[in-house]
Amino acid sequence: MRVGSVAEVVELVTTPLGEGFRGRGGIALPARVSNVFMAAGAVAIGVYFLLGFDGKAVWYLVIGLASVGAVFVGARRLERGRTAWYLFGSGLLFSVAADAVSGYYEIFRDREPPVPSSADVLYLATYPVLIAGIVLLLRELGVHRSRVAVLDSVIVTVAVGIVQWVFFVEPYTHSSLRTVTRIVGISYPTMDLLLLVALSQLLLGVGTRIVAYQLLILSVLLWVVGDEIFGLSVDDYSAGKWVDIFWLGSYVIWGAAALDSSAAYEAPRDRRAVPRLTIRRLVLLAGALLTPPVVLVIEHVWPRHNIHPISIAVGGVLLALLVVIRFAGLVRAVEGARAAERAANNRLRELDRLKDEFVSTISHELRTPLTSISGYVELVRDRADAESSGYLDIVERNAARLLVLVNDLLLVARIQSGQLDLDLGGTIEVGGLVSESVASAQPHAASGNVALRVRNDTGPVRVRGDRRRLAQVVDNLISNAIKFSPDGGAVDLSLERRDGIVVLEIADQGIGIAENERGRLFERFFRASSALDRQISGTGLGLYISKAIVEAHGGRIEARSVEGEGSVFVVELNVDR
Amino acid sequence: MSDAPLILCADDDPDILALLALRLEGAGFRVVKAADGEQALALARELRPSVAVLDVMMPRLMGFEVLKALRADPSTSDLRVILVSARAQQSDIESGLAAGADAYLAKPFQASDLIGLVRGLLGS
Repeated sequence: MRVGSVAEVVELVTTPLGEGFRGRGGIALPARVSNVFMAAGAVAIGVYFLLGFDGKAVWYLVIGLASVGAVFVGARRLERGRTAWYLFGSGLLFSVAADAVSGYYEIFRDREPPVPSSADVLYLATYPVLIAGIVLLLRELGVHRSRVAVLDSVIVTVAVGIVQWVFFVEPYTHSSLRTVTRIVGISYPTMDLLLLVALSQLLLGVGTRIVAYQLLILSVLLWVVGDEIFGLSVDDYSAGKWVDIFWLGSYVIWGAAALDSSAAYEAPRDRRAVPRLTIRRLVLLAGALLTPPVVLVIEHVWPRHNIHPISIAVGGVLLALLVVIRFAGLVRAVEGARAAERAANNRLRELDRLKDEFVSTISHELRTPLTSISGYVELVRDRADAESSGYLDIVERNAARLLVLVNDLLLVARIQSGQLDLDLGGTIEVGGLVSESVASAQPHAASGNVALRVRNDTGPVRVRGDRRRLAQVVDNLISNAIKFSPDGGAVDLSLERRDGIVVLEIADQGIGIAENERGRLFERFFRASSALDRQISGTGLGLYISKAIVEAHGGRIEARSVEGEGSVFVVELNVDR
Repeated sequence: MSDAPLILCADDDPDILALLALRLEGAGFRVVKAADGEQALALARELRPSVAVLDVMMPRLMGFEVLKALRADPSTSDLRVILVSARAQQSDIESGLAAGADAYLAKPFQASDLIGLVRGLLGS
């Protein structure tokens, strides 16, 4: 937002302001009040420049008083930050009083007030009050107090200090004016320095999304700019010059800021320990660092007084040191974070390793009691009658199931830790392997009334690998197909040879797999909802293990399915030449 | 019966130890039992069995160490040893055979497999 032309002001007024926040601090004034005030102020400033000399002096006071009034009105309805805004109003009042003194001289004495005068006292008194208001506001908003934030302020102070010193203060140290005049002359830039530091704190500390603070920042900025321009051309200032627009604009916008509904809103607090290195902060720091060379260039292009480059050099060195310290903190923080991350990663790796070891130990521990269970069941079976024998079959069967589960868990743990050691040296005739698996699955299929059909169009096809593990894969897929097949259904196995690969497809007519779950089929412990719904037993490990084995052989496994109609599992392996 | 071969069985799990003895005695062998590695080594030296069935994970002296001691001692170096263990990965089996075992049996095992192995080792 910039106030530089009437058109922009009109645009400002017609744009909705202060939207999108939940306020908690007092009664909000309708947004339009602030807009109206700004529009009226813009018009008033326009009028100012059309008036005559005396009219200007009076109108200046009118605008000032209206703005002070606006600030007090706005401050009154606030709960939070009210004191700060009251301070702003008071400070502005001092300034208006000083304007009145100036005005008196201009109207009744037809000249500028002498330097120093009561006007100067009042003007200078304004700054501490305004700065106190800003400090209070910043405290309200919970601005950072960390070392880094303080360093940033110091850096800005030094940079601004260099500017103020070179352009505004040092000339007075050489001039031949009276001491009092010189003191007054130095006081203004010093006050501006403090105000600029406070402004930079506002810029860094306050969220830009709150309109009232945007306007506040703008008005302080305008005030300081006016002061600086005035300071550069103090000898030829007189009331009614164009530089007045800055102070008048500052008054008006200050009033609008206080009236804006968002002044009541709470600023979002940045709760980090160290302020984030935003672009804004970076620009400010870069600007600070560039101040000495820029000042030198300006002095070179527009030489006004004999400045001592030493002071600029000293300032430059100081700035560089401060920036280095400030970024050293940042670098150290980053390194600290990296080290912490490395430590955390190491810990995670260690935990992973311990987990794998744990699973391995448990698996082995579980086999020992299973040995006794199976062993003694076998002993009893020899001397058991038919009925007991049947029960013992059930015990034996479940012990076998437990054993399968233990072995699967152990295998999964080994796959996870990358220790799946396969013997990939053997040669396997695929057709034979499949026939064997089908044969051993017949009892299971028969009990579920499921037919197993094999179609082999390839003739003998050999692959290299671990026979036991590949058999495990085929067994697992056939077992799944039977498990999920309906009564009376059929499972079709087909072998095909394509280019250098052999393709085994196992198709069932079962319940199928939902589209969104197909991607997760091969995950550890994953059970499809269709299986869970029908309480079909399983651990969710079979496909995970199968995939690991197939991929360790350089092959591929995937699933196709239509929910409710059936699934096809496809295994591709490289043919051994 | 006194001509029947003597089998030394060692396992820290008393149930499995009893099972081994029962099965082997049922198959016609004589059995002597040890509950840890030290006992197994002492009994082997003293009684000179024909075959030793050793659990790997035992207190006092592990199965591997017993095996090494047996092989190092000339009086027992030709003793036939079957290692039994719940740890039966390829690497475990290879280590066992490399240490001098004649066979490696994984738990849980079939009694018939054990008896078959013992008979096989006695035959050769």
